[in-house]
Amino acid sequence: GGGWTNQTTNQRYTNVIQPSTFKSNTWGGSRDQGRGFFGSSDFGSSGGSSSSRNADFSQNRFSSLMNSQNIADGYKDEEERLLECVVKDMETWESSGQWALSSYSPMEKKPNVSGFSDFSPEELRLEYYNCRANNNIQNYINSVQQLVKQWKSQLLQLKTLNASTKAALLSELKNTAAQSLPSFGFGGQQTSSTGMPTFPVNSSSSSASNFSFKTSSSLVSASSGNTPAFGSSSGGFSLPAFGVTPSPSASHAAGFGSSTTPSAASFSFKTSETSSGFGASGFSGFGSSSGNSSGNASLTAFGSFNAAPSHPSSGQTASAFGHSITSTVSAVTNTAISEKLFTPKSELSAEELKQFEGKKFTMGKIPLKPPPLELL
Amino acid sequence: MSLFGATSGFSTGGTSMFVSTTADNHNPMKDIEVTSPPDDSISCLAFSPPTLPGNFLIAGSWANDVRCWEVQDNGQTIPKAQQMHTGPVLDGCWSDDGSKVFTASCDKTAKMWDLNSNQAIQIAQHDAPVKTIHWIKAPNYSCVMTGSWDKTLKFWDTRSPTPMMTLQLPERCYCADVVHPMAAVATAERGLIVYQLENQPSEFRRIESPLKHQHRCVAIFKDKVNKPTGFALGSIEGRVAIHYINPPNPAKDNFTFKCHRSNGTNTSAPQDIYAVNGIAFHPVHGTLATVGSDGRFSFWDKDARTKLKTSEQLDQPISACCFNHNGNIFAYASSYDWSKGHEFYNPQKKNYIFLRNAAEELKPRNKK
Repeated sequence: GGGWTNQTTNQRYTNVIQPSTFKSNTWGGSRDQGRGFFGSSDFGSSGGSSSSRNADFSQNRFSSLMNSQNIADGYKDEEERLLECVVKDMETWESSGQWALSSYSPMEKKPNVSGFSDFSPEELRLEYYNCRANNNIQNYINSVQQLVKQWKSQLLQLKTLNASTKAALLSELKNTAAQSLPSFGFGGQQTSSTGMPTFPVNSSSSSASNFSFKTSSSLVSASSGNTPAFGSSSGGFSLPAFGVTPSPSASHAAGFGSSTTPSAASFSFKTSETSSGFGASGFSGFGSSSGNSSGNASLTAFGSFNAAPSHPSSGQTASAFGHSITSTVSAVTNTAISEKLFTPKSELSAEELKQFEGKKFTMGKIPLKPPPLELL
Repeated sequence: MSLFGATSGFSTGGTSMFVSTTADNHNPMKDIEVTSPPDDSISCLAFSPPTLPGNFLIAGSWANDVRCWEVQDNGQTIPKAQQMHTGPVLDGCWSDDGSKVFTASCDKTAKMWDLNSNQAIQIAQHDAPVKTIHWIKAPNYSCVMTGSWDKTLKFWDTRSPTPMMTLQLPERCYCADVVHPMAAVATAERGLIVYQLENQPSEFRRIESPLKHQHRCVAIFKDKVNKPTGFALGSIEGRVAIHYINPPNPAKDNFTFKCHRSNGTNTSAPQDIYAVNGIAFHPVHGTLATVGSDGRFSFWDKDARTKLKTSEQLDQPISACCFNHNGNIFAYASSYDWSKGHEFYNPQKKNYIFLRNAAEELKPRNKK
């Protein structure tokens, strides 16, 4: 059929996985390329239930064959491989154009490397739309620039890996158990409302017989010790993400294109009225011919309960991050991104200080000044 | 010849009005264009369940609307109805009987749209945008599940403003899927949780992410006896992980594969790596489709571990995709997904939804 790229005849043989007999504990990264693009099951057990095998991978491989000296060397190899993996991943990340504002971990069962936080494209986009509605696109641009700058700085640190960064990184990656994890047991933090329709209680509370993946024992598996670390540990590893002199072209890093002056004026939130086929007249809805296609969101169901939480008034969609854009951010807009490295604490607002003290920024509240010296 | 019947036959005669013949690259696959597409990026697509005769498609968009079309067998698409939120719509789904559409929005609410009366009411409230919405139909209960950036998963009886249950998530909900009795939720900071939904929802297992970067999309797949058995997880780093919940040999059975990258596999030059924006499993064949920021879609056979097809490159990212209930139709949306930030956002650029006959191209590799 027309339109398909001419790979299909060759696909079968380049893409069929070669079962690996050698278990590498690295992700491979760009090294995978020669092997066809199906990364093998090369990162150990990813099935959650079998993760009672929690031991260090290298121990399993070498312990039966080597004496203690060689085990130490084995560790060293594993460490070096891990660091190599990180460096390679940073190089790839820098050149690939992939999304920058992402968490990162070099391999499964390792915590997220600090300094990389998740912001999804949708969160950024919503922030832009909100700023645009408030005629404040520059706020958005500054915030994103700040995040990208931080990402770039962190990436460079990990790519070049001096001795102290190396040590800190290894210490952080080994520190799986000590990560500050949300304390959720299985079953999570459930709250059921009372007096309202609840889930019917079924006397036969046996394990899910319809489940294709029922476990033999209880649902609580041994993997609770391997829950992923969300956010970095407060100790151990902190890169001075600030304190790097901004490069002269402090415009967007790879993946964000060149910086252009924003045209905050004259955008149009085009609504659907202009489209044919929709609208009040001349279309047939399902059954009822009211054709009332917009704005009929009657909230009577909630009105009658009197317990309806307030919802945002129209037009003021709150920012993506749970807090509406505070005046704190707009107050510092006039301050261009400062060339100085530190800001005295006395010059920071309470909100800015809180942001710097936190593990990561909240979108919409990102301080545009450099951090105070004390918090580095 | 019926476009969506068993025999593939793309009859260009009757449908040429919907297919662009210009030289531009907005529809290189020459697929059917859905009429009256939304005016801003499409965030979600969903086809009606088999309980409805025919096929109806809904799409949510960043223009705050959700639209519904009837898709006829000859490929003609007829706009039917539309509803609005007060913020961009991020997700939508159908009830099992096809009478309701549920929508999730940046305005922190979810709505239930009764298609027969064309009325929509609010049925859920969160403290932050609602990113995912799914209808759960269990033998002894039914409810709507919403996942939000407020780090909660809530379950709603549509008659009550108070959730039946709230489960805390470790981080913002980024994507979710439900195939009863299993739910899979992926969050920010590489969180991954599986829930079991029998009797009432409860957390089943937290799974360490098999991917290195931000989670973006997730789709549950089923085994040969039609029970959910695992999921496919996509990230921003052009990679999908296939993960079985209880495989005989996890090390061998679970794997990842690269996708949505430039330059193929044999090059020393750095690749361009694109986000996986959506994953959908063919309801009959069990093969899967992925769509990416690179503006391509690909079909894969996860059991044979091969790629089946890759499309030509569209001139903008593909932001969403879905199959209809019998797998004859593959729908994909061509919209900017913010993967390159705001500078590449052109509000004037048209958004598209394309429909493709999927009966043949997604057959598994070893069965013909």
